[in-house]
Amino acid sequence: MNAVPTKAINRLGELERAVMDQVWALGEAGEPSVSVRQVHEALLGSRDLAYTTVMTVMTRLADAGLLVKERSGRAHLYAAAGTREELTASSMLGQLQGLPSADRRAAMLHFLGDATPEEIADLKAALAEVEQRHGRSSGGGRR
Amino acid sequence: MLAALAVVLTALAPRLMARQQVFRREPRAALLGWQAVSLAALVSAVSAAPLAVHVLALGGAGWASWAAVPALVLSGLVLGRLLWSGHLVGTRLRAARREHRLLVDALGEAVDEEVRVLAHPTPTAYCLPGLRRRVVLTEGTLRTLPTDELDAVLAHERAHLRERHDLVLEFFTVLHQSAPPRLQVPKALREVRLLVEVLADRSARRVAGPVPLARALVALAGASHPETALAATADVGATRTRMALLAQDDAPRWLAPAVYAFSACVLAAPLALLGLALGSMGA
Repeated sequence: MNAVPTKAINRLGELERAVMDQVWALGEAGEPSVSVRQVHEALLGSRDLAYTTVMTVMTRLADAGLLVKERSGRAHLYAAAGTREELTASSMLGQLQGLPSADRRAAMLHFLGDATPEEIADLKAALAEVEQRHGRSSGGGRR
Repeated sequence: MLAALAVVLTALAPRLMARQQVFRREPRAALLGWQAVSLAALVSAVSAAPLAVHVLALGGAGWASWAAVPALVLSGLVLGRLLWSGHLVGTRLRAARREHRLLVDALGEAVDEEVRVLAHPTPTAYCLPGLRRRVVLTEGTLRTLPTDELDAVLAHERAHLRERHDLVLEFFTVLHQSAPPRLQVPKALREVRLLVEVLADRSARRVAGPVPLARALVALAGASHPETALAATADVGATRTRMALLAQDDAPRWLAPAVYAFSACVLAAPLALLGLALGSMGA
């Protein structure tokens, strides 16, 4: 049975990445539009996978805007919606998710919010204070 | 009495507590205090009307038994509004996280089970809470931060995930949104968000030390990122506060026990009133 290992892999989200890699690789090899079967066969070399699993993942990737679905006769073909860099940039700008930015922001816990130049200058002054307070040596400065 | 308590706990207490900056030095106890106040407000709000009617009926006011229905309806509305708000907030949060996790998994480089690195020059760091949780960094972050500062950032994000700070925030967001607009205290919600960050900062400084954490805060604040530029900067000044706390002494020893005792009293107040009212039934 291949259901168990597939699930284990998918829990880590590794399959999404592997599928995108294959679509990009096939694109570079001169095939910008590929079928689920092509991706499935390319992935089979390295792992045990059900066809339907690959189909599900590709559908989700298309829904997320990373793949573009095209109809070719009776079958569907998929193409990458952009290079990794392009899609990453769009993703960081929130352009791939059709959510209000407040919703998207609430979904994540950011290390910090945005700062104006004045605030950054202020922060640097405050950093000097922290450094002085805890000794200049970095790392393990905690008593 | 309970109704008054509900209003005080919903509208007044948060305003007062948000002003007590000393709480920020004991974030874990402070968050507990906030939760106690919110829960007590909730208990008061839900039980006030039916109890009032009940007491009146026992007092012999014949018309009071007729008031039981609207009183129960009022409580039902309060509870219903809360559950509905909880449902909406929870569903939207989870959908947004699921969607974003897919993007991060498909586009990012997996460092380990949790950490994903995006191919982007802008330094940033955030986490996606939940069962399939992720810490997201960019290549820009890895280039900008030396190892000890990166450790501090990772410890901060992992503390958020490990201690499920998202659930704390969700709880307060739901309460905030279900309160009548006039009683809402946006400042309280901001304070709670800050406390969660301060709590994660404390984990980070235990792991990496205060100085690397402070440097990482400055380094990442200096690199403006487009994503947050779009969002409202509700947390202006929050980073400055976190820096200031890194330079301060630890909180006085009595503070945490005091806050815990305060929390217990606040929670006990509506319960005591409830008990009193129910006790008068027997009389």
